[in-house]
Amino acid sequence: MSGLELIITRYTLVSALGRGAKAQLKALRANASGLRMRLLAGGLPVALGEVCGLEDVIIPAHLSRYDCRNNRIAALALETDGLAEAVAQCVRSFGADRIGLVVGTSTSGIAQTEAAYRDSEFGQTGALRGDFPYRETHNVFSCADFTRRYLGLKGPAFVISTACSSSAKAFGTAARLLRSGSCRAVVVGGVDSLCDTTLYGFQSLGLLAKKGPKPFSADRDGIGIGEAAGFAIVMAAEDAQTGLYVAGIGDSADAYHMTAPHPEALGARAAMGGALTQAGWTASQLDYIHLHGTGTIHNDAVEDLAIRQLDCAAIPASSTKGAIGHTLGAAGICGVVLTAECMRGEWIAGTTSTEARDPLLGCNLVLSGRPGRINRALINTFGFGGSNCCLALEWRP
Amino acid sequence: MIVYVAGIGVLGPGLEDNRQAMEILGGDQEDLRLPVRAPEARGLAPNEARRCPTTARYALDVGQQALRQAGWEADHVATVFSSGSGDLEILDKNCRALAHPLPALSPTLFHNSVHNAAAGYWGIATGSHAATTSLSAYDDSFVAGLLEALLLVAPGNPCLLVAYDIPAPPALATVRHVSAPFAVAFALTADRPPDHAIRLDWRWESQGAGLAPSPLAGDLEALRLSNPAARSLPLLWHMARRISGFVTLPYLNDGRLQVHITCDA
Repeated sequence: MSGLELIITRYTLVSALGRGAKAQLKALRANASGLRMRLLAGGLPVALGEVCGLEDVIIPAHLSRYDCRNNRIAALALETDGLAEAVAQCVRSFGADRIGLVVGTSTSGIAQTEAAYRDSEFGQTGALRGDFPYRETHNVFSCADFTRRYLGLKGPAFVISTACSSSAKAFGTAARLLRSGSCRAVVVGGVDSLCDTTLYGFQSLGLLAKKGPKPFSADRDGIGIGEAAGFAIVMAAEDAQTGLYVAGIGDSADAYHMTAPHPEALGARAAMGGALTQAGWTASQLDYIHLHGTGTIHNDAVEDLAIRQLDCAAIPASSTKGAIGHTLGAAGICGVVLTAECMRGEWIAGTTSTEARDPLLGCNLVLSGRPGRINRALINTFGFGGSNCCLALEWRP
Repeated sequence: MIVYVAGIGVLGPGLEDNRQAMEILGGDQEDLRLPVRAPEARGLAPNEARRCPTTARYALDVGQQALRQAGWEADHVATVFSSGSGDLEILDKNCRALAHPLPALSPTLFHNSVHNAAAGYWGIATGSHAATTSLSAYDDSFVAGLLEALLLVAPGNPCLLVAYDIPAPPALATVRHVSAPFAVAFALTADRPPDHAIRLDWRWESQGAGLAPSPLAGDLEALRLSNPAARSLPLLWHMARRISGFVTLPYLNDGRLQVHITCDA
């Protein structure tokens, strides 16, 4: 990537599949799903991917105003796989002011405000109480603000919020911060939690799967929403080493519609092609594609079209949305960590809950997980507003 | 990296466009006239224009002002959209709908509630497929956006920065104070524009944000303090008066973006 690759030196993920990178791989090896059926108000059943154990998370006293589901998931992830300790080591080596933080989220802690609007006091006064912690919980920046304070970082910090491509685009911002010399290391994250806005919002668009998501299946009928938090420590890779690399990033806009993807896959193709170009890879050198694979009729069809247009139809590809749900702003970091674990564990993840590929689609969909080596992979994310980002991930054992 | 400002867009109280903003900021007037001109959503088909939310209208208005002044087409211009709170009008409507025992959200209000709605409408209005990002850093969102935009600019790769914030409706004004709508855009390029170039030399400084001296007074200073996007006003003040010098933009209490403006570079 213009003479600068990113090396990922540490990562973690908490999702509906469990806590930590190893738990994710173990569940993927078992073709397990973390989704459970729940009933919406009105009785509509939906599949949700919830993170367990949040009630036991301890928020430090000086950050008590930040306490909310979204920041609890973030805190749980930071205390997993030695992430916080590894960041502390970076702080000792480089100084807190030389470590950046870029977190992707779509809704941050919006559930706090949703709950406050249901409160009887709101009904009486028509306004939120002056001491309601909007800034610390709901505001889109709050998850980065919380993480920054939790880790004691003092470098530049951003939230990237581009819907479902948020935490993939966060790697692009991290690359620029490192390339400019403003930072020696960047903590990249993705955090999104279950909330009524996305649940009833996707319901209003008719995009919630009735019996759980079935990506790339002929009878697919929508998404199942999941929640997750993942973090990665990235640095500039100065010479060829072994390890995990982000070798390219492709970024594009559909310029077409707020929710529907471009019918000729223009944006998706540009993002994937951009990542391949920056990595200096040809399609045939790819080992795997981690599909965005949400499970909606149009998104999967357009992603499939982009893959065929780029001559990637033979490359093994799968969607993990049936395992962890669509984690929205965290989808990018989920794709990175799940793919990285499969690279290390020599496993090709399956498309959980999909029994057969839609015969109208043409990609090489992996249905059931199987052993296999992955050294070069693409991770696709495509979001509302036509916001696309594709990462080229490389494992050099 | 040296960056040039090829175009500016402004819309806020008493600042109806880039030309008027330069006049006001270059003069002695300290009070600003309300209300703010309604922002234009040029380039959208009637049905899209009807759905386009307030924040995205501000973004479109100032972004297109800056491109017109730069003489650029939108295609191939990367974009950075920055907002401290997004569209709180939409949030208020959605939270009210969700407070019902049987919640029913409007599909349009749902997709308009994403932080990158402005970027989405920008793409639809201009047809640009260029790389785009949308970010936030609460009250320091403008500085965050400027840093990201400065990092994106490279020879042959111009970037448009758009920052906007609007006041909260009464239910949320108790927890988020933004006094008046304000939006700003800068068309940034590494390739020197033909004439009257404004040059920015910048560096990130990590030792203490400190208090930034502001050249502004009266309503302009009040606007700067109460709208995250208006943290850009000291830059505009220098550009309006064609006074070269340093502008310190504090960031999250721990750092600052130090920008040196050279007018007529």
